[in-house]
Formats: sequence, structure tokens, C-alpha cells
Amino acid sequence: MLSLGVLGSAALTLALALAVYAAVAGAVGTIRRDARLQTSARLSAIAVFLAATTAIIVMQAALLTDDFTVKYVAEHSRIESPTWVKVVTLWAALEGSVLLWAWLLTAYAAVLAVTAPNTILRPWALVVMQVVAIFFLSVVTFAANPFIVLANPPLDGPGANPLLQNHWMMAVHPVLMYLGFVGLTVPFAFAMAALITRRPGTEWMRLTRRWTLLGWGFLTAAIISGGWWSYEVLGWGGYWAWDPVENVSIMPWFTATAFLHSIQVQERRRMLKAWNLLLIVLTFSLTLLGTFLIRSGVVSSVHAFGDGPVGPFFLTFFAIVSVISIGLVVWRWDQVRDRADLDAVVSREGAFIGVNVLFLAMAFAVLLGTVFPIFVEATSGARVTVGAPFFDAITLPVWMLVLLLMGVGPLLPWRRAETQTLRSNLLVMTAALVLFVVVALAFGMRRPYPLLTVGLAGWNLASVGLLLAGAIVPRARITGRSLGEVFTRYAFEQKRRVGSMVVHLGVIVIAIGIAGAGGYRVDQQLRLDYGERVAFQGYELQALRPFAEQSAGRASVGVEVAVWQGDRQVTVLTPRINRFGTNQMTVPTPSVRYTIGHDLYLALAGAVDPTQDFVIIRAVQSPLVTWIWIGGAIIALGTAYALTPGDRPLRRRVTADVPAGAEA
Amino acid sequence: MRASSRRLGLATKRVVYAMLGVGVLGVAGFMIFQALNTSLVYFILPNEYAREPSQFENRRIRLGGLVAPESVAFNDQSLQLTFLVTDGIQSYPVEHVGAPPELFRENAGVVIEGSFDAGVFVSDNLLIKHSEVYEAPEDGHIDIEELRRSLQ
Repeated sequence: MLSLGVLGSAALTLALALAVYAAVAGAVGTIRRDARLQTSARLSAIAVFLAATTAIIVMQAALLTDDFTVKYVAEHSRIESPTWVKVVTLWAALEGSVLLWAWLLTAYAAVLAVTAPNTILRPWALVVMQVVAIFFLSVVTFAANPFIVLANPPLDGPGANPLLQNHWMMAVHPVLMYLGFVGLTVPFAFAMAALITRRPGTEWMRLTRRWTLLGWGFLTAAIISGGWWSYEVLGWGGYWAWDPVENVSIMPWFTATAFLHSIQVQERRRMLKAWNLLLIVLTFSLTLLGTFLIRSGVVSSVHAFGDGPVGPFFLTFFAIVSVISIGLVVWRWDQVRDRADLDAVVSREGAFIGVNVLFLAMAFAVLLGTVFPIFVEATSGARVTVGAPFFDAITLPVWMLVLLLMGVGPLLPWRRAETQTLRSNLLVMTAALVLFVVVALAFGMRRPYPLLTVGLAGWNLASVGLLLAGAIVPRARITGRSLGEVFTRYAFEQKRRVGSMVVHLGVIVIAIGIAGAGGYRVDQQLRLDYGERVAFQGYELQALRPFAEQSAGRASVGVEVAVWQGDRQVTVLTPRINRFGTNQMTVPTPSVRYTIGHDLYLALAGAVDPTQDFVIIRAVQSPLVTWIWIGGAIIALGTAYALTPGDRPLRRRVTADVPAGAEA
Repeated sequence: MRASSRRLGLATKRVVYAMLGVGVLGVAGFMIFQALNTSLVYFILPNEYAREPSQFENRRIRLGGLVAPESVAFNDQSLQLTFLVTDGIQSYPVEHVGAPPELFRENAGVVIEGSFDAGVFVSDNLLIKHSEVYEAPEDGHIDIEELRRSLQ
């Protein structure tokens, strides 16, 4: 009997077989220099993608037609759920998300097979991509197959995890995360190819520059959108709790960010060859290790969605990847050894190396804090968790140093800085720092980290201003064109450079948001008697009436709360508790009034009892928290701008006295 | 002669850098270890606290257990919630500021975070564990190991 389950399994098996063929044919064809075999391997990369796409389509068909003979649908879907929930149920649990990950990987591999320039690195890079695809396809075929056919299908399923159904962001955040992870697999594949072919020069990173930036951009967007999801759903008014699930997403982000900066040192100065190779290996293997940590249940998390039998697979693949790639670096040591040396610490490369050390230190500290409970339990048997204070205590000072370097680095020239310019630049930036701190003090800020963050925001704004002035003013003077015209031309011709300035600007905006929300949050439980106004942080809250709502697969109970400022009713917030289908779990859903100064965040603290004449709510006021999401959007814009085609090196028109920032 | 002395200078420089690096790493490692030790939050049951109260003096801990029957009181003016948390062997009074969460009821599995103050556990975070694994007993007998597993 041909059912969707059988069809899906067949498509997966076909994809796996084709991937094995593509990898073997690619490797053999390259070793034997057989061009026809290599072409065949490239074409099969497309076939792998088509087979995996079939599996995805079959799964979507099963979800949308409520085919409960398919195990995954029976366990995670529900007839009365709205269509969008059924679509995103594909990645709402373990098996489906590994399937999505595998599919995206085959898609990237197929795109590479078609578009990657024909260099000596291409065949091996494609082989590595297929090997990684083989791993994911095997996991989804053998260990976590979502297509298993049930002999006695249920009439209806329990539906997706309530926390995931509760917000549309769940349609976006996981996909961004996998796009990021898969995007960073591309530079990893080319790095491996470079080691295999003994060409650890800059070629592999030039070829994958866009992929690296794309993967990094997606990962950044994924982390920030995940924070916003937590904020909107988890009901405690925060966005980041140093939960293991969050930690394993930020670790590869730290190493990828370090990589993004250190490859520029190799491109410019031919230094850090081995370092860059190790960084991309680390980034890729941290995504595997992270998946192992949260999927195997070895660390406990408040929101690890879907434990399963895949843990050992990821751990094994992590070990294999680490041993082989580090082994390759050691084996090729003679080629990857640096011959150039650092001329001066105070130089662009010095700043990049410094920021690399800082990002790696944070990745290491976060990893340590995440896995430390495992060691404690293994040695003493005690169950422990590492609290958020540890992560804050370690990362906050390091972030301050990162912000400090972020202002200095781009202004420094390569090789060696000229003391005169540096000194005058630093003077301007320090003046800005002091000015911002004084203004913040005048506004009543007293806590050290928020104050320092505001100061460093001034420092960095001055730095961007100096960079732009240094690039534009001399050009305008020489060409006689207006500043606006020169700026437009500069922005158009130097997309990568201007894009990076925009991204750095986004980082400052986020830092300001975190300083406000982290340092000056007010969190309080309040008793609201219906009809009476209760003061909270300059507002008056007035509970109007309880309400109950039914929609497809969802029942809500909540309270309408009028928010007053003086005599003006500014809004009505509706904190509620949602229940999905027959699931026991209740999801307290906050209601937020967003403003650029601060957010007012209301959540129900307990049950809504219709017999009571009052309700207890949790009220949170977070200053500046919206700027975190705005900063995320700025970073996404800057990354997209840097990725737009048409970036070409500026012909040097300024001959005398090249100011810092003028050269690209 | 000059070349060799320059090479020697470079070598000494490298040694100095290496020693500085090791020193910085050592200090950083020590600080990280200290920070880790002070921010470890132990998960224990009431009887484990009873055995060695001094070990958890002024320390933040996560206490797991069941809400003892007929021990729950909630003051809806001061929003103070009090109840006894028990593992069948030992019980402790708990003070928590805030409304009882939606699924809070007698015999519910809870994990509370806070610290002991003169025999009373002062909590600032209350989590309900609604596990399918562990059903609260009717006859009063509690299997400690099963309870511990279901609360983690």
C-alpha cells in the first residue's frame, strides 16, 4: 500500500543513497582526475536536493491532510489547529527539525554545485557538503524517522507544543537558526577542501565570503528573534535567561563573529592561517555539540523542545569532525604555519586579534558554564545548575572591552598606526565618551555597567563619525563635489565597509537596549480590584473585566486592563492564559505596550477566578528594551547591504596623506 | 653578531609574551572557577537539607518537593503565599511573594528557588512540575528516587 509515510521514507532513502553516490563519485573523480565522474557528482547534488524536497513536500502534505498514519503527524499535529500551525509543525519537534536541517543542507549543496566557480577547491568542498548531508539524512532516516507508518493511527493528535503554537515567531526563528548553521557549513566545507588540497591560502575564504556573511547574518537574526519570542511568550518580561538552549546558539555565534573578523587579517596580512581554519572548524562542531547537549537531555533546559534518540549520533559526529579536521590542520602544519609576524600591537590586525581573543573567551566561558553541571554530577552526584549571575559576571566586562575595541579597530590602519592621527582620534572619542556619561548621570543613571555602556556608545558613534569624515571630506575637497554626493558614491561603491559600519551601529543600539532593560527593569506583582486604578511606574492600571475567547484549537481566558497616564487612557492590554486542544499545559501570554522609551508588560500571575472581584498580575517596566529589536533590524539591514552585489574596490583617488578609513 | 643578538631579543620577547599569556590565562581561569563556584545552584530535596543544613547556609538553592495537603495559605492583600514543601520524610515552611500559579494545588510537584532563613524557605521563583511520569500518591507513601527524577 502506498501511503504518505512509505513515500516519505522512500524519498529519504533515495536522498541518502544519492548523497552517498555524490560523495564517493566526487572523491574518486577528483583523485583520478576524472572530469565526467566529477560532473556526475555535481549533478547528483541536485538530485539529492530534489529527493529531499520530495520528503519535505510529503511531510507537509501529511500535516495538512491530517494523515495520522504518519507517526510525526500523529504525535505533533491536531485536526483543529490553524493551517499555519500545521505548516510550522514541520519544525516544532525533533524529527521534523532534523529533516528541515537536512533539506536546507542539500539545498545549499545543490546551489554550490551549480554556482561555485570551477576551482581546485570545488570538488572537495562539494564532497564535504555531501558528507555532512549524509550524516543528517542518516539521522533522519534511521534514528529519528518522522515517516514511520503507524498500524493503528489515532483519530486525532495532541498538537504541537503549546509554547510554540503561541506565537507566530516560531514560524521564523527556527528556520533562521538552521539557515545560519547551514550557511556556516559552506566555509567549513571549503576550509576542509583547502586542507585536503594543501592550499590553506586565502582562496577558500574569498570564495565563501558571502556564504560566511549570509550564515552569520541568519544566525544573528535567529538569536535576536529568539529573544523576542521569549519576551513575548515566556511571561517573565525578559528575553535572555542563559538557558542551555540559548547558550548553545550563542557559542557558535561568538566563534563565527571572531572568524568574520580574523579572515580579514589573513586576507590583508597573510597571518592567522591555522587560527582561521580552527575557528571555522570550531564554529561548525559547536553547532553539533550544542545539538547533542540539548537533544540528549544531558543538560536540563526549560525549553528544549523534543528530546530524542539522536544525542549519541550528534556526539559521535562531533567527535569525528573534530578529530579529522584538527588532524588535518596538524598534518598540513607546514603549509598553515604563519610566516608573517605582527608588526605592532597597535594596528588594525592587532585590534582584530584582540577582539578574537575576547569572543573566544566568551565562547569558552559559556561552554564551561553550560557543561559544568554535567561534571559536578559525574563527580559528586549532586544536581546543580549554573545561575545567570555567572554568565553575566563573565560576559559583561568582556563585552565592554569588545565595545571599546569596536570603536578603535576600524580607525587603525593595517601594520602600524601613526601616533599623531591616533592620538587626535582617541581624544575626540574620549570626549564623546565623557559627554555621554555626563548626560547619563544627569538623567539619573548610577549603575556602573549601564553607564559604561552609554559612554561606549558615545565612543563608538564618534568613531563612526571619524571614519566617515576621514573617507569623505578629503574626497570632496579634491573632487570639488558636495559632501552628500561623495557620501552617496562612497556608500554605493564600498558596500562591505558601509555595511559593517551599519552593523556596528546596530550593535551599539542593542547594547543601549540591554543596558536599559538589564539595569533598570521594574518587576512587581499587583492586586487589581476590578474598576479601581492602581499606580505603577507613572501609569495607572485598571482591571476592567475578565474575558474568555475561543479560536481554532485555542481557548483563552484573560483580563482587560485599561492603562491610564493621568486622565488619558493610553491603551487596553489583554494579558491572558492560553490552552491548546486537550493539552494540560497552560501558556500565560503577556500583553505588551511597546514605546521607544520603555515597555509596559503585563502578565497574569495566577488563575483568573470569575468568583473573585480582583485579579493578580505581574507588571514589568523595561526601559529601552525595544531598541534591542530595532538594533537587530539594523544589523540585518547592514548585513544585507554588505551582501548586495556590485561591491567593487575603490580606485584610490586620494594620493597624498591617506587618512585612516579612506582605504578600504 | 648583531643578527644573533636580535634573534636573541626576539626569542626573549617571545618568552615574555608566552609567560604573560600563561599568567593572564591562569588568572582568568582562577576567576572563572571562583565565579562558577559561587553561582552554583544546588537542586535538593527537603530531607537532604535536613541532613546538612550548614552546607546550604546563605546559599541560593532549588528545593524540590510536593505541596503538602492542607498547608496552603494565600494572603490576597500582601500577596504572600505560604505552604509546606515535603518529600515524605521532611517538610519545611515556604514563603513566596506572588500569586499561586495557575496549576498550583495540593500534592503538585514544585521546584522553588531561594534560600533558607531561620528554618523557613524564602522563595522568589516558583515552578510547577506537571510531569506525566510521577503521579502524586493518595496513600501518603512517596518514592524519593521517583520524586527526584520527576522534578528534574
